[in-house]
Amino acid sequence: MFALIKLIQSLFGALHSEGTPGQLAAGIVLGSFLGLTPLVNLHNAVIFAALVLLNVSFAGGMLGWAVFIPFGFVLDTLFDWIGHSLLLAPSLRGLWTSLYNMPIVPLTNFNNTVVLGSVVFAVLFAVPLFFAARLGVTRYRATIGERVRQSRWYRAVMASKVYNVYKLFKP
Amino acid sequence: MTRLKVFRWKAIGPLLILLVIAGVLWWVFADTIARRETQKVGTQVLGAKVEIQDLHLDLAHGKVLIRGLTVASPHEALRNLLQADELVADVDMVPLTEKKVIINRIVANGLRFGTPRQTDGRVAAKSGEGIAGRVLAETHQWASQFQVPVLQLATGTISIDSLDPRRLSTIPAAAALDARADSSRRSWQSAFDALRLGPTLDSAQATLEQLRRARATDLATLNAARQAIDRLKRARDRMTTLERNVTQGVANLKSGLAGLDGARQRDYAFARSLLKLPSLNAPEVGAALFAPGAIRPFERVLYYAQLARRYMPPGLLPRATTGPGRLRRAGEDVRFPKERTLPRFLVRSAELSFLLHPTAERPQRYAGRLSGLTSDPALYGRPTVASATGPQLGAGVMLDHLHGIPIDTAGAIVGGIRFPVFEIPGVPLRLDPGAATTQLGFNLNGDTIRARFAIRSSNVRWSRDSALGNSTIGDLIWRAVSGIANLDVEARLSGELHHPTLAVRSNLDQAIAARLRAVLGEQVAAAEKQVRDRVDALVNAKVVAVRARVTEVQNQAQAQVTQQRARLDELQKQLERRLRDLTRIRLP
Repeated sequence: MFALIKLIQSLFGALHSEGTPGQLAAGIVLGSFLGLTPLVNLHNAVIFAALVLLNVSFAGGMLGWAVFIPFGFVLDTLFDWIGHSLLLAPSLRGLWTSLYNMPIVPLTNFNNTVVLGSVVFAVLFAVPLFFAARLGVTRYRATIGERVRQSRWYRAVMASKVYNVYKLFKP
Repeated sequence: MTRLKVFRWKAIGPLLILLVIAGVLWWVFADTIARRETQKVGTQVLGAKVEIQDLHLDLAHGKVLIRGLTVASPHEALRNLLQADELVADVDMVPLTEKKVIINRIVANGLRFGTPRQTDGRVAAKSGEGIAGRVLAETHQWASQFQVPVLQLATGTISIDSLDPRRLSTIPAAAALDARADSSRRSWQSAFDALRLGPTLDSAQATLEQLRRARATDLATLNAARQAIDRLKRARDRMTTLERNVTQGVANLKSGLAGLDGARQRDYAFARSLLKLPSLNAPEVGAALFAPGAIRPFERVLYYAQLARRYMPPGLLPRATTGPGRLRRAGEDVRFPKERTLPRFLVRSAELSFLLHPTAERPQRYAGRLSGLTSDPALYGRPTVASATGPQLGAGVMLDHLHGIPIDTAGAIVGGIRFPVFEIPGVPLRLDPGAATTQLGFNLNGDTIRARFAIRSSNVRWSRDSALGNSTIGDLIWRAVSGIANLDVEARLSGELHHPTLAVRSNLDQAIAARLRAVLGEQVAAAEKQVRDRVDALVNAKVVAVRARVTEVQNQAQAQVTQQRARLDELQKQLERRLRDLTRIRLP
């Protein structure tokens, strides 16, 4: 229940924040990396740091993360296939062998089929997702955004204390 | 126009705080995390629970200290494979940045083997998952092929299970032969028809009639006669070819008949196996008595050898193994070994100090060494070697996975081991081997296995089960073995790994076999005759019919060939004689 409220708060908080649609879309893209790829991996530490340090919507990041977690689970078979195809491609063997025997790089678990497949997918998916999210936010704000902001329901949800935590990181 | 800020500088503070918190958490929980991960990986690798009481990482000095290590047996529910009081490992820190674990030296103290445990520590045997689970299932399947019929004479009854005709091989073989005979008959008839001998013979007969009325100057008739002879010769050649085919086909059918006899012998053997009656030959008595127990050490050693082959494969090609367990799909971890780099895992050397007979009043302390245990033998360049010596112990292991064909060798001789009392399969007798000397030799070269397991004891004790009370046979076996104080059992395994030959002999074989043969010989012979009669009753009707069919087809084909050939020969002879008469020069 708490997670659901938090998700709803994140969603509307992000949509009604002062951030530009581009910032929000960039946040969603970074968050999608967290959701699509297995979480406990070195690349996600970098993604999280980027989400905090770059001037993108943190709320958008949380939203992207929450939205794409189920997709990550559902698409794991596809990621496994992509990773398997890439890691066992004879033409790429030299590249993987070099990376595997470098310092630090193996700690990213790039040699795991699901990790590599999901990262590659997330990278390829980032560009269309960015433009789609930016367009969506722009259209939302131009159409029903103001009516939602004025609704009692919206004010009730945003009055929750959890929202205050989110505000610490609003763009 | 306001300039868009790229960085959120005010977030550096919270991020640093987060990093500090993560660092503190790591400092506080690193030992716990490492302990749990080690337990998890160890359990996954061995297929049995690995438990660690305490693990301390000393990264500054590159040391890992493990106290209270317990590794459960993958094969026995309430037994540990080993326990260790303390392990200290010197870890090379720099390769950790490449996710490679290089342990320069391990010192293990207080190792104990085969200690009892309170809970079932088997993991692979229960779940069947992972590499260990698959290897365990494979080796179990492998061991199950050595199903030796157990001795079931203790009650003196000879029973015969119902004989299912569908399991007899003679009946389908007879049906197949019948079909072959029919097919041969049709094929020969077609070939015979294709010769078209009728027109040739009729034409030759007509030419002969003309020739009888012809004179020496009737050159056209003479030429026609010569052409008819040529046609007859060609027809005879074709007939010869057909005759050869018939002869070959008949030989095949006869061989099929001989095959029926072989199938019947196999059916006799199968029916005899339903008797629950052991062979009275001494080697088979040994197998019936000790094979189920003797195969177990081979199965276990093979399990570890196969695990070693999976985790320490030869060569430098990329290798995929199951990824780490997590909520998400595990996927596969693909390793990319590279020449002149470090392997992913390596124990350069280990010094082991262990106890045998830990529960004895004065447990004996031994020492062992291990070197070159690595995940990438081709990179390390030397085989894994382990050895242990002591007053009553000599053991050595070498895993040579450097080349394409791995060679795994192990040998051990251990004295003074007390085996538990065990029941002899099928016979309610219990044998207490006492303190025995055990020898094991194992060599797995590629897919060829050669192994030997032997137990020798000079103070065995026998006890009889109450079920033997009023049994004549039980009494006989008891009298045969109860006076024997020595036990000498040897099991040998050799051949291709997927289907090796197991030979088991013991000093009890002759004694038991001779006694059984003397008493049971007649009963066994009568029972065997009974099962042979049952087989005959089931298969005779089919076999007799097939024999008759084969003989009929054979006779018919041969008679046809002989008859036509005789006609051809006769006509040719008459034509040639008449031609000779006409063309003979008569002197005035």
